[in-house]
Amino acid sequence: MIIGLEHYLVLGALLFCIGFFIALSKKNAVGVLIGVELMLNAVNLTLVAFSRFGSAEVALSTQVFVVFIIAVAAAEVAVGLALALVVYRNRQTISVDRTTLLKG
Amino acid sequence: MSDFGFHLAFWSLAAMTIGGASMIMVSRNLIHAVIWLVLSMLGIAGLYLTLSAEFIAVVQVLIYVGAISVLMLFAIMLTPRAERDNSQNIKTSAPAGLVVIMVMIATMWVAIDTDWGAVREAALTEQARLIGESLIKHYILPFEIGAVLLTAALVGAIALARQDDEDAAVHAASLQAELKGDGSVDPVDVVDPPLPSDGEVGS
Repeated sequence: MIIGLEHYLVLGALLFCIGFFIALSKKNAVGVLIGVELMLNAVNLTLVAFSRFGSAEVALSTQVFVVFIIAVAAAEVAVGLALALVVYRNRQTISVDRTTLLKG
Repeated sequence: MSDFGFHLAFWSLAAMTIGGASMIMVSRNLIHAVIWLVLSMLGIAGLYLTLSAEFIAVVQVLIYVGAISVLMLFAIMLTPRAERDNSQNIKTSAPAGLVVIMVMIATMWVAIDTDWGAVREAALTEQARLIGESLIKHYILPFEIGAVLLTAALVGAIALARQDDEDAAVHAASLQAELKGDGSVDPVDVVDPPLPSDGEVGS
């Protein structure tokens, strides 16, 4: 059996689903951010797989996209963790279940 | 590359990635979860190498394994009284699992069933040069927007995380009291036992 595009796509889908479940179910805000990071990495893996197995035109542009996604993910995690710190300072918790200030 | 070596690399890296991600889900300690995330990210960097995307693999190790995991550990350390536990919310876990299983079935079906017309041409060579050239030629506008985004995120994170002067003064005072180890601090406020001051260590 040859390791082909489908192997990487299935792996990416599996990783995306694990990250999705972590992001939906974790109580801690940092745990939710870890899940989001896993989802972004799964998408990156899929894009790089298409870069290797796609035609020559997409080989470069997918890798450039991956660079952009990594940059945006870094910005997202920095702001997300700063937000977690502010919530902790005001509420003494970063549990997403207990930050219910906007609940009616 | 020999076929057996490639198979071995792919399957072991895939097991490392999925295993690390699963351990995040299972792990009850948030710090352990971040360490498992590092393992998973290293596995993905190895998978990039098997896809001959060397530049992306190096960037992955630098940014995810180096920077983002340390940032997360800092955030956990700076929120000491928040729970370190990484448990699931029982009420939302069941519907979340249902949604995730449906997404998994859909994505797997698309990934396996579609005829992607995959070709395996020669891998890109000199990737760093090609990516850099296309960033400042073809993708110059997204590149500039990304620069603005990173600057805004940097300034925004500092502005959010910065303490007010008043808060900072109160915090510094309580820290001083903790370091002295006198009884003036409410024991509820002290999570870790107060550190001995230098004088006590010496005597």
